[in-house]
Amino acid sequence: MTNSVCVLGAGSTRYGKLNESIIEIALNAAKGAIDSAGITPKEIQAGYISNVFGVADKQVHMAPVLMSNLGIPNVPGLTIESACGSGSVMFREAYANVAAGFYDCLLALGVEKVTHTGTTQSTTLFSYCSDFFYEGGNGASFPGLFASIARAYLTTHKATEEDLAYVAVKNHDNGLLNPKAHIRKKITVEDVMNSPVVASPLKVFDCCPFSDGASAVILCTEEFAKRSGKPYMKVIGSGRGASPAAVQGRADITTIPSTVAAANQAYKMAGLRPEDIDFAEVHDCFTIAEVIDVEDLGFFKKGTGAQAAREGATRRDGRIPINPSGGLKSKGHPIGATGIGQVVEVFEQFTGAAGDRTVKDAEIALTHNFGATGASAAVHIFQKV
Amino acid sequence: MKDESIQTQNKFIDSAIKGKILVNKCRNCGQLMLETVYYCPVCSKSDFELVEFDGVGTVVTHTIQAVAPEGFEDLDSYAWVVFSVDNTPIRASGFLPGIKVPADLPIGSKVKVTGYDKKHGLSLQKLP
Repeated sequence: MTNSVCVLGAGSTRYGKLNESIIEIALNAAKGAIDSAGITPKEIQAGYISNVFGVADKQVHMAPVLMSNLGIPNVPGLTIESACGSGSVMFREAYANVAAGFYDCLLALGVEKVTHTGTTQSTTLFSYCSDFFYEGGNGASFPGLFASIARAYLTTHKATEEDLAYVAVKNHDNGLLNPKAHIRKKITVEDVMNSPVVASPLKVFDCCPFSDGASAVILCTEEFAKRSGKPYMKVIGSGRGASPAAVQGRADITTIPSTVAAANQAYKMAGLRPEDIDFAEVHDCFTIAEVIDVEDLGFFKKGTGAQAAREGATRRDGRIPINPSGGLKSKGHPIGATGIGQVVEVFEQFTGAAGDRTVKDAEIALTHNFGATGASAAVHIFQKV
Repeated sequence: MKDESIQTQNKFIDSAIKGKILVNKCRNCGQLMLETVYYCPVCSKSDFELVEFDGVGTVVTHTIQAVAPEGFEDLDSYAWVVFSVDNTPIRASGFLPGIKVPADLPIGSKVKVTGYDKKHGLSLQKLP
């Protein structure tokens, strides 16, 4: 690696049920990132796009279509899919191409549109992200897969369903401060516990919503960023990991090996330890996921992540703020966009655009995003400039 | 070179229909893995002895879903189950009809493979 890589601009649509086409949603986020970076599309040398279910809105081969609609049809684009982790995995590839010197400036954009398909079809589409022969094909939905992980966790460690509820309450509190969040609703532990069961032991408020939305960032060399005169942040750590695709293939169902591997690589590259991170955006598709994430990322010892949520250690004013954006749980989960949305949150935090949800004095932040039940994952670490 | 189609899933299904779990035993290193794995994760060889184990095992974890994926709406309440296959280090998963609440299937319960349903996959039954 040669180039120091920076995030120069960031843009995001609101997450939720959107009426625009998937290309229009993407264009809205792209415009936000381009304007934020103070560049013109002509300065973009490549487009990296993450998307999973474009076919649901009659559009695959997304990247060239988006490049054409940005008025740069001769700029090469690439569409990357890695289930719910598509955004972070795509970001890693975009990062690597700038670091390697192939490009000085590129667009990294994630987009998804699924809400028009309805709950049953969305549930089915998401099940295709599993190891289908063993999981979706045997009747497991995605909530079901994470529910099986939750049951294993609650059986193995000293934790309760009520502990999980504290994750949802905290992320909804944060989401109330995010004008682009999908679900802006204050909830209590009782609300979570009394909400209908989706897949035992997970209830409605343990689960993130199906969301539409797009997020985009401009990635560039530090030289390019300095020339722009605009605020930027540095990418100082990047890691990728993998796990057995099916839950049944993991010796310990209460940890996600891809997260551990990706985090170790990112910490090593940055020369940092978990205690050096000021806040993190982690993959909380379900409350149990955040509990496992904060352990796998090294913020809390194995088996204590649920207790950390209950004790408030992950709140914005806690020891390590987790998901100040509201996370997937409240901000929403447009799966192709989620990983980039996390980077947008860090950018807004570091550039004074996060408003009341700003994490005080934060200078180092981590993003963590995985695909499916963690078969693929990426972790990135950012430094405020 | 002879062009042979790899059809690991069909072999696994044929065994499941008989109530068995089909396992690859690596002739090079002895590693056991589900038959659908084509290269040994330990030594990367692809020379296996096929071994059928009784499809009996112990429930490791499970869930009961309120919203089932398409194709499973016709089933009454069922559990999706991960179970460890007896006498192996292997885990498999399937669907177990008739489970309505978690108390119906405590972790550690014994289950057995009853077949392979074209529509619903590997079917299980709870053992007394």
